[in-house]
Amino acid sequence: MPIIDYKETFDVVVIGGGHAGTEAALAAARMGSSTLLVTQSIETIGQMSCNPAIGGIGKTHLVREVDALGGAMALATDRAGIHFRTLNASKGPAVQALRAQTDRALYKAAIREIVEQQNGLKIYQDSVVDLELESDRVQTILTRTGVKISARTVVLTTGTFLGGRIFIGHEQHEGGRAGDPPSNVLAQRLRALPFRVNRLKTGTPPRLDGRTVDYSHLEIQPGDGNDTVFSYIESVKSHPEQRPCHITHTNRSTHDIIRRSVEDSPMFTGAIEGIGPRYCPSIEDKVVRFAERNQHQIFVEPEGLNTTELYPNGISTSLPFNVQQEFVRSIRGFANAHITRPGYAIEYDFFDPRDLEPTLQTKQVENLFFAGQINGTTGYEEAAAQGLLAGLNASLKAADKSGWYPRRHEAYLGVLVDDLTSFGTNEPYRMFTSRAEFRLRLRQDNADQRLTPIGHELGLVSKERWQQFQQKHLSITRVKEQLQRTVIQPNDSRVPKLEQETGESITREVRLVDFVKRPRVTVSAIKLAGWLQDVDVKIAEQAAIDIKYEGYIARQDQEIKKAKAAERMAIPVPFNYTDVSGLSSELRQKLSESQPNNMASASKIPGMTPAALALLAIYVKRNREQRKIA
Amino acid sequence: MGTGGIGIVRVSGPDAKQIAHRLLGRHPNPRIAEYGSFRDAKNEPIDSGIALFFEGPNSYTGEDVLELHGHGGVVVQQLVCERVRALGARMAEPGEFTQRAYLNNRIDLTQAEAVADLINASSAEAAKASSRSLSGLFSKEVHALDENIFKVRTYVEAAIDFADEDIDFLSDQALRQLVEATRTHLSSLLVRTREGTVLQLGLTVVIAGAPNVGKSSLLNALLNEDRAIVTEVAGTTRDTLNETIHIHGMPVRLIDTAGLHQSEDRIEEEGIARARSAIEKADLILWVTEDEDVKHPSELPTKHLMVLNKCDLTSNKPGFVSDDTLRISALHKAGLKELRDMVAQTAGHRLSDDAFAGRPRHISALEAVGQHLQKVEEFLANSMGELVAEELKHAHHHLGEIVGQTSTENLLGEIFSKFCVGK
Repeated sequence: MPIIDYKETFDVVVIGGGHAGTEAALAAARMGSSTLLVTQSIETIGQMSCNPAIGGIGKTHLVREVDALGGAMALATDRAGIHFRTLNASKGPAVQALRAQTDRALYKAAIREIVEQQNGLKIYQDSVVDLELESDRVQTILTRTGVKISARTVVLTTGTFLGGRIFIGHEQHEGGRAGDPPSNVLAQRLRALPFRVNRLKTGTPPRLDGRTVDYSHLEIQPGDGNDTVFSYIESVKSHPEQRPCHITHTNRSTHDIIRRSVEDSPMFTGAIEGIGPRYCPSIEDKVVRFAERNQHQIFVEPEGLNTTELYPNGISTSLPFNVQQEFVRSIRGFANAHITRPGYAIEYDFFDPRDLEPTLQTKQVENLFFAGQINGTTGYEEAAAQGLLAGLNASLKAADKSGWYPRRHEAYLGVLVDDLTSFGTNEPYRMFTSRAEFRLRLRQDNADQRLTPIGHELGLVSKERWQQFQQKHLSITRVKEQLQRTVIQPNDSRVPKLEQETGESITREVRLVDFVKRPRVTVSAIKLAGWLQDVDVKIAEQAAIDIKYEGYIARQDQEIKKAKAAERMAIPVPFNYTDVSGLSSELRQKLSESQPNNMASASKIPGMTPAALALLAIYVKRNREQRKIA
Repeated sequence: MGTGGIGIVRVSGPDAKQIAHRLLGRHPNPRIAEYGSFRDAKNEPIDSGIALFFEGPNSYTGEDVLELHGHGGVVVQQLVCERVRALGARMAEPGEFTQRAYLNNRIDLTQAEAVADLINASSAEAAKASSRSLSGLFSKEVHALDENIFKVRTYVEAAIDFADEDIDFLSDQALRQLVEATRTHLSSLLVRTREGTVLQLGLTVVIAGAPNVGKSSLLNALLNEDRAIVTEVAGTTRDTLNETIHIHGMPVRLIDTAGLHQSEDRIEEEGIARARSAIEKADLILWVTEDEDVKHPSELPTKHLMVLNKCDLTSNKPGFVSDDTLRISALHKAGLKELRDMVAQTAGHRLSDDAFAGRPRHISALEAVGQHLQKVEEFLANSMGELVAEELKHAHHHLGEIVGQTSTENLLGEIFSKFCVGK
C-alpha cells in the first residue's frame, strides 16, 4: 500500500468521534490548537450508542462542569431534549440532578453542527490502524487507506471499539457497536505498547417498535414542564417539542422465562470474561441475584420525535433472540411488541487508568492521551468530561505548557480522574454523588462558579459565556449583600404572610441572611411574602444555598487543607510495605496492591486508621533518609 | 495527663496560637512562662496555672506548641482538655507528638523508631479489633455501632444515588428508628466508657527491690530531678513515691517503693506493705538489684525486668544482659535509654492486650459521633437528605478512627449487593 504523507502537522489529533472525542477535539480547537478529528464514520459523530438520555445523579454534575468549561454536551442536550425531569428534587441542592430524554437524531445533529462550526477543527473520515512512536512519543498516525498524519499530541477515544465483541445468546461476532465494525488492527497495535489491558463488558436492551406497544397498559411519566436547561448559557426556547416517558414492570412469568433460559446467556456460560457494571445489571442478572423480587421497573423511553422506536430501559440482555422475544411479550403493554433490534452484550478492551497521569496523558508515551470508555468508564457524561480534560491538556502539551486538572474538591471531574488514576477500576466506572466527599460544594447549580474562571484563563470559554458568567457572579454577590442588609421587623405587615409561607415564627427582628439559614425557608417563600421583589429567583436561590451551607463549606475547607498537606507527603512507588511492622496484614496487602503515591491516597484505603497512617509516615520518611544516605 | 501534682496539657499544631488566645484571653508570648487562668467559653476560669507557648519550628514538635501546666486533678484536667478540644484540638494518638517531631526534623531516626514501636502496638490493636473476633465488650459494642451507622449510610446513599428506584428510605420510619437506637446505644456506651477511663490512664511501673540498691536513684534519673531524697542510709524511702513521666508521649506512673526486707520500724513496715500492694497492681516491675550482688526476687506476680544497678562499680558495661535483664548505672545515667524503650514496649503490649479499655481519644471520637448523630436525627425530621448523609459520613469517620475507615467503594458494594439498582 502506498503511503501518502498528509501535508499539515496538527497540534492535536483526536481519534474517535463519540462523546469523548468530540469534546476533546472541540476543547483543543477552542484553545487555539490546530486540531484534527479522525473518525471511522462522520455520520456517527455524536452518536448515542446506549440509551437516549443525558444526565442523572452525579452525571448531570459532570455535564454542567463540561458546560462551565465551554463544552458541547449541555448545549446539544438542550437542543435535543424531549423530556426533562429533576431527580432528587426534595433531597437538597447538592444531590439534585436534571435529566433529559433526548431525540437521538437531534442530539447527533446538534453535536455535528457544533463540531463543524468550530474554528480550527477539521474532520477526517478514515480508520486509524497504527500509531508510530519514536523515543516514547507518537510521531504520526497511519490510516487504513495509507494516509500518514503528523501530530504533536494524540488523543485516543475509541470507546468499545478496541477488540469489540458482540454476544447474543450463543451467537457472537466482532463489532464496536451494533452495525459498526471494531478497531481490531489498532487494538493489536496498542496491545503491543506497554499498557496494562483488560476486558470489560456492557449491554443494551432490545429496542421495540412503538406502534406494537399498548400504551394504555403503561403508566405515564410526564416531564417536569419546560423550565429547566442544562447549559448555563442556553434558554428553554431551544427545547424541541416535549414527549412523555412510560413505565412498566417485569412480572413472575417474565422471570420464569428468563430463569429457564439463563444457561443460554453468555454471561452464565462463561463466554464473556469481562466484568460488567454492578449498577447496570442485565435482566438475567437481576432475576438470578434478586430472586425474591417479583418485578423490576422498566422505563420506556422514546428514541425521538420522528421515530416510533422505543428504548425499554431496565431489560438489558444477551439472551438468545427467541428468548428476548418471549420475555418481552410477557411484559404488561408489550404483549404484541415487535423487537426492532435485539439486545446484546459487548465486551471490549480497556486500558488500566492507573497508567495515566491525572491530565489523562499516558505515563509511558508522553504525548498520548486516553479518554472515555478506553479508560474503563461507562456513560456519555463520564466520557465527555474526560474528553474535555484530555483535549485541553493535549492542547497545553502541544504548546509546551504544563497541564491542568481539577482536584476532588473542585469538580466531579476531579473525583473521576483521581479515582481512576489512583485506584483503577475493575468494572465500568460510573459517577455517583457518594464518590464525592466534598459533595455539598460540588453542586450542579454552581459548576460555573467553580470552573468558568479557570476555563476563561485556559482559553476554553467564549467571550459571550465569560460575560454572562461575570454578570451572574455579580448578581449573586449583590443578592448576598442585600440579604445581609435586609432586616425583618416582627411588626412588618408582610410578616404574617412570611410566617404562613415558611412555617417559621418571627418574634424579634432577624436579618434575611440568618433567616434563610433555617431549614424550611426557601427564597421563593420570601419572595412570595413580598421581599426580594427585584431579584431573579434562580440567582437568589444560589446565594441562599451558599449561605445555608457556609458552615459545612468552612469545615470542608479545613479537610481540604489537611488533604493537601497529606498530598504533599509523597510515598515512593513502589514502596515495600512488608518493612512496615505493625500494619495489619489486610492493610499491608491493600497498600502493596494499590501503591498510593501520597499520604492522601493512602488515607482513602478502606480499613485505614490514624495509627496506621502515623506509622506509615514514619517509615516513609525513614525510607527517604536511608536512601539519601545510600 | 497524669495524676501527679501538676498536670500538663500540650497542644501542637497551626491552631495552637489561636487556641492560646481564646483560652488565656491574650496573645501568648513565646518562651515566657506566664501565670494566669484558663478560661471556658463563658470566660469563666476553669483552672489557673502556667501557660508556655513555643513558636514553631523552635519547639518539641516543630509546630506551634502550647503547654498548659495546671492543677493535676483528673476532673480539672479533663475540663481543660474539653475546652481545648472545643477550640479545635483533638486527642493525640499514641506517640503522635514524637511522630510529628520526627516528621518535622526535630528528632532523629533512632528516637523515632521507638515511637514506631509504640504506634505499632496500638495499630496492632486496631488490626486485631477489625478481625471482629475480638473479645472485650467495648470493642464489640463499638463494632456494633459501626455496623449500624454503615447500614444507615447504605440506605441513605442508595436513596440519594438511585432516586429512580423504588427505594426512598429517607422517609422510612424504620430508618429513623435505627438512627435513634444507634444514638441511644452510643450514649450508654459513652457513660460506661467514661466511668472506666479515669482509672485506666497510663501504665503503672513499680520500682522494687531490696533496700539501698538505688531504687530512688533510678527514679530520680528517670525524673531527671531530685524529687526523692537519696541518702546512704538503708530504708530512706518509707512510703511509696508516685510520679508520672512521659515516655514517647505515653503517660507512665512510676512508683518508687520502700525496700523489701524484714523491718522492726513500724512506719517502715507500713511502707513495705504498701510496696507489696503496689507490686500486685503494677503493669511492670523494675526489680532493682546491685550488679555485684544480684538478688533475685522471691516471687513477683506480674511481668518484671531485672535491673542490675551500679554497674559503674563493676567493670560491666550497661545494656541488656538477656531479654529480661538490663544492666544500668542510675548514678551515671547509663543504660536508661534501653530502660525507657523497654517500658515503652511494655506500654505498647498493654495497649494491645487491653484494647478499647476506653482511652481518651476513644471517648473524644465517640462524643463526636454522638454530636453528628444528633444532627442526623434533626435533618431526617426535616427530610434534608444530603445533610443527613453529610452528618452520617462524619459520624462514621469518627468511628473509623477507632475501628478503621470505610471507603465509598465498601459503601457502593453494599448498596449493589443489597438492592437491585440500576437499569
